[in-house]
Amino acid sequence: MRFAGHNFEPLPSGALHWPGQQTLLVADLHLEKMSSFARRGQMLPPYDTGMTLARLEADLRRTGAKRLISLGDSFHRADASSLLTHSDRMRLDALTDIVDCIWLSGNHDPAPHAIGGTCLPELELAGLTLTHEPRRGAAGLISGHLHPAAHIHIEGRSTRRPCFVHDNRLMILPAYGASTGSINIMSPAFIGLFNWPGLEVTMLGRDRTYPVSPKRLVRG
Amino acid sequence: MGVLLTDLPPVITDWFAAKGWAPREHQLAVLESWHAKASALLIAPTGAGKTLAGFLPTLSDLVDGEFEGLHTLYISPLKALAVDVARNLTTPIAEMGLPIKVETRTGDTPASRRARQRVKPPHILLTTPEQIALLLSHPQAELLFGSLRRIVLDELHALVTSKRGELLSLALARLAKLAPDLRITALSATVARPDLLRDWIAQPLPDKPTHLLTTSGGAPPVLEILDTSQRLPWAGHSANYAHHDLYETIKLHKTTLLFVNTRSQAEMLFQGLWAINDDMLPIALHHGSLSVEQRRKVESAMVEGRLKAVVCTSTLDLGIDWGDVDLVVQVGAPKGSSRMLQRIGRANHRLDEPSKALLVPSNRFEVLECEAALEAVAESHQDSEDPITGGYDVLAQHVLGMACAEPFLADELFEEIRRAWPYRDLPRAQFDRVLDFVATGGYALRAYERYARLKKTEDGHWRIANPQVAQQYRLNIGTIVEEPMVRVRLVRGRGFKKGQTTGPIGAGGRVLGEMEEYFFGTLLIGDTFMFGGEIVAFEGMKDNEAFVSRAQASDPKIPSYMGGRFPLSTYLAERVRRIMDSPEEWTKLPDQVSDWLRLQRDISVLPRRDSLLVETFPRGAQNYMVCYPFEGRLAHQTLGMLLTRRLERARARPLGFIASEYALAIWGLGDLSGLIRTDRLSLDDLFSEDMLGDDLEDWLDESALMKRTFRNCAIIAGLIERRHPGKEKTGRQITMSSDLIYDVLYQHEPDHILIQATRHDAARGLLDIERLGDMLRRIRSHIVHKPLERVSPLAVPLMLDIGKEPIFGEGRESAMADAADELIREAMGQI
Repeated sequence: MRFAGHNFEPLPSGALHWPGQQTLLVADLHLEKMSSFARRGQMLPPYDTGMTLARLEADLRRTGAKRLISLGDSFHRADASSLLTHSDRMRLDALTDIVDCIWLSGNHDPAPHAIGGTCLPELELAGLTLTHEPRRGAAGLISGHLHPAAHIHIEGRSTRRPCFVHDNRLMILPAYGASTGSINIMSPAFIGLFNWPGLEVTMLGRDRTYPVSPKRLVRG
Repeated sequence: MGVLLTDLPPVITDWFAAKGWAPREHQLAVLESWHAKASALLIAPTGAGKTLAGFLPTLSDLVDGEFEGLHTLYISPLKALAVDVARNLTTPIAEMGLPIKVETRTGDTPASRRARQRVKPPHILLTTPEQIALLLSHPQAELLFGSLRRIVLDELHALVTSKRGELLSLALARLAKLAPDLRITALSATVARPDLLRDWIAQPLPDKPTHLLTTSGGAPPVLEILDTSQRLPWAGHSANYAHHDLYETIKLHKTTLLFVNTRSQAEMLFQGLWAINDDMLPIALHHGSLSVEQRRKVESAMVEGRLKAVVCTSTLDLGIDWGDVDLVVQVGAPKGSSRMLQRIGRANHRLDEPSKALLVPSNRFEVLECEAALEAVAESHQDSEDPITGGYDVLAQHVLGMACAEPFLADELFEEIRRAWPYRDLPRAQFDRVLDFVATGGYALRAYERYARLKKTEDGHWRIANPQVAQQYRLNIGTIVEEPMVRVRLVRGRGFKKGQTTGPIGAGGRVLGEMEEYFFGTLLIGDTFMFGGEIVAFEGMKDNEAFVSRAQASDPKIPSYMGGRFPLSTYLAERVRRIMDSPEEWTKLPDQVSDWLRLQRDISVLPRRDSLLVETFPRGAQNYMVCYPFEGRLAHQTLGMLLTRRLERARARPLGFIASEYALAIWGLGDLSGLIRTDRLSLDDLFSEDMLGDDLEDWLDESALMKRTFRNCAIIAGLIERRHPGKEKTGRQITMSSDLIYDVLYQHEPDHILIQATRHDAARGLLDIERLGDMLRRIRSHIVHKPLERVSPLAVPLMLDIGKEPIFGEGRESAMADAADELIREAMGQI
């Protein structure tokens, strides 16, 4: 995938591999989302953090990336890093030991967290801006926040899956966390962000990603 | 008969005499059971005066005005029924001048009255299972129900086959404990296994006798299949060919009820009848998606006798008696004998006159099903479903409710729960897991002890951790989980042009009703479909509303036939197979149908009673495999999913499949006939029962049907909230998050109590695995393979459905792969 003059490899997990920078980009991990519900009396399964970390470990192994940049909303709540189970905490520590981790702040986790790596509000890298929330009119911006999904309809079949979406100026990554939902890129949340004629949509499949034609997109 | 009219208090006998009536035999039999201190199950067809039978003991008990507190609880599946019964009770009570207070309690009852009812109840309270569960979760429950003498359960046959029945059974177990003098009287339509229903009401009161009372059948119904000169369609469900015949029939009767199986069929039929309604007959439409006001309007017009005909779905299966209906029409497959008998019972609510009904098959297969139903009804054969047993989701809800009422000991609650019939064999270990689930989620990874909803006190009692738990419980009570619905609003069309986006649409306009949200997920703007009796065009969506405009089209583009909720009963399926297998019986079939079967016999072979016919043939570039299990669409869909996986492994390269009530067709690129001929593919292995093992497991992992079932279980069990105090969660959000929860849970704890509950439901519900298993056992080493050069006559209907019905298979990935290929072709300038 070519974006703003750089080569990227979108992974079926939802991570974006940037070989030129030996970097793995992920957005919206929402770690400890399910336990945040438990605190309010809804006992959702406490396994989402473990699943997300396992995905991350696998992606880092596969790509051999030296750096991990999480584009905000890494934790579902500001204090969520204190909710981690012992084993998840160990796993996360091991991860921050092996690779250089940069945690950008998001609306769910605006303050720096007490785990390894560096916490930053925003980052400039190789001429691109990395941040949590997409902005209109920016050039070379990579963000998360909106949890994009595409719904396509072709010859009687339809599929709705998270996706990467960019117009060569703005790129939005799919949400990476095991507990995250998604929003259709045709919905009002995305209005005005993209230049539609140049839109590139890449959907996440089981074992590969699929670049799809925007004319197949439907709502819902 | 030990009880005579004279055993009733004079004020009641005088009332009967003044009306010129005499209590019926079964009404007195109920009274006799009451005097013998026994519970009773009264099985009687509709119109037999069941309701009065249920209340005679109460009236005679309360005549002297000395009783204090709540005497009788009446519980029915419909709040409309509770309201109607209240009306039917207050009139005689007033006429007899009895000092009896009757009140209803439903979701519509004002909060102030509901609060008052908890401390100062009427003598007779008419309500629903959900309201009882709610009352039992209050600490005052013991005081309120301590005086209770009688429970009257109405339409029990309809309750016991659903989760509401499970909830009710648990409530009865608690009520039996609170009220030592309790007896239960249950009223039911005729069912296949009355003994099970009797056991069901006897279970909470093990030391008390329970009588089974049955009334004689009344006049047998007069039932016919529509005799038409029109051409019978091969496939489809619209029954368009019959509209003229039906219209003429409606004219000849006073009031006709026309039952169909799905909302879209109701729409089509209603539209079709109005298209030829030259006499402007008052014909109305009634189905679950129409707005409540619209439905109430139709119902009251019906009661007032102002309607000539009503087209309806199962929404009118139960409910208020309408004396003037003199013809019931079933359009489309009757599905089951008991269902058909109950629908026929909606006509002519007088026991001594025969009910009249007409069956209208909408395609050729349905002719066979109608014929089978005709025989079954003539023999009064019952094939109703048995009561369901023991869902862990409902149990979890109940356990939490009991903790809200008062702290409990696990041992005692377990004993009590085993007195609910569906849970009579509940193993202690499973109860403990449910309790653990309610307290902390029941996960192997014990991460949530600090957030526990239930806490164990030092003396071993389980109590709720804080009052918010009870508040949450009360907001999530009940077992009915609605599909996420959107309002359908009619707006002015703005001259839709292809390719244009709508932009914001002005709100306003009339609300036509509600429809399942997933339906709109596949619509494109400008697509037309039928709703509220007219063809409308989809204009867009905003928040929780879908906007539509009146369309000029004469045929809707999107058929939206979603299949009925009820599968063909095993019993009718067996009869259909027998008719096919007995050419001597074909004389009673229309010529078009018997010719079709003869052609099948000549070209291929007929499906036999005890074997499974599998045909394989090439067509176009593809190869087809069609089999005829006659086990209903749901079981066939599951079979199709599993066979496709196996065929993939056998390198037969399957592409998709389509399932009907009767048959299943799979197609692919591999030469199926050749693979079978050369023994590279064994049909016995392909259809072997072990597909319900690993293949099923693999598929359940990602099955959308499992996820939908899980969502229901998770909401009922209280894992996901229906709504929060003050703000309603939208249906959409629940759907999304429950899918994610399922994914996470299935991967990490496939044995979790909620996954168990989901599998249990799916087995008998959307996946119908139970029935599939029975079928695979039946046909083991009885598969008849017929390789053909071309499509067989029997396979034609299914071939015609391809393209009209959703196709299953590797849809998800292949849709993306095709869209990706298309993009590549586009990039290379080929499109």
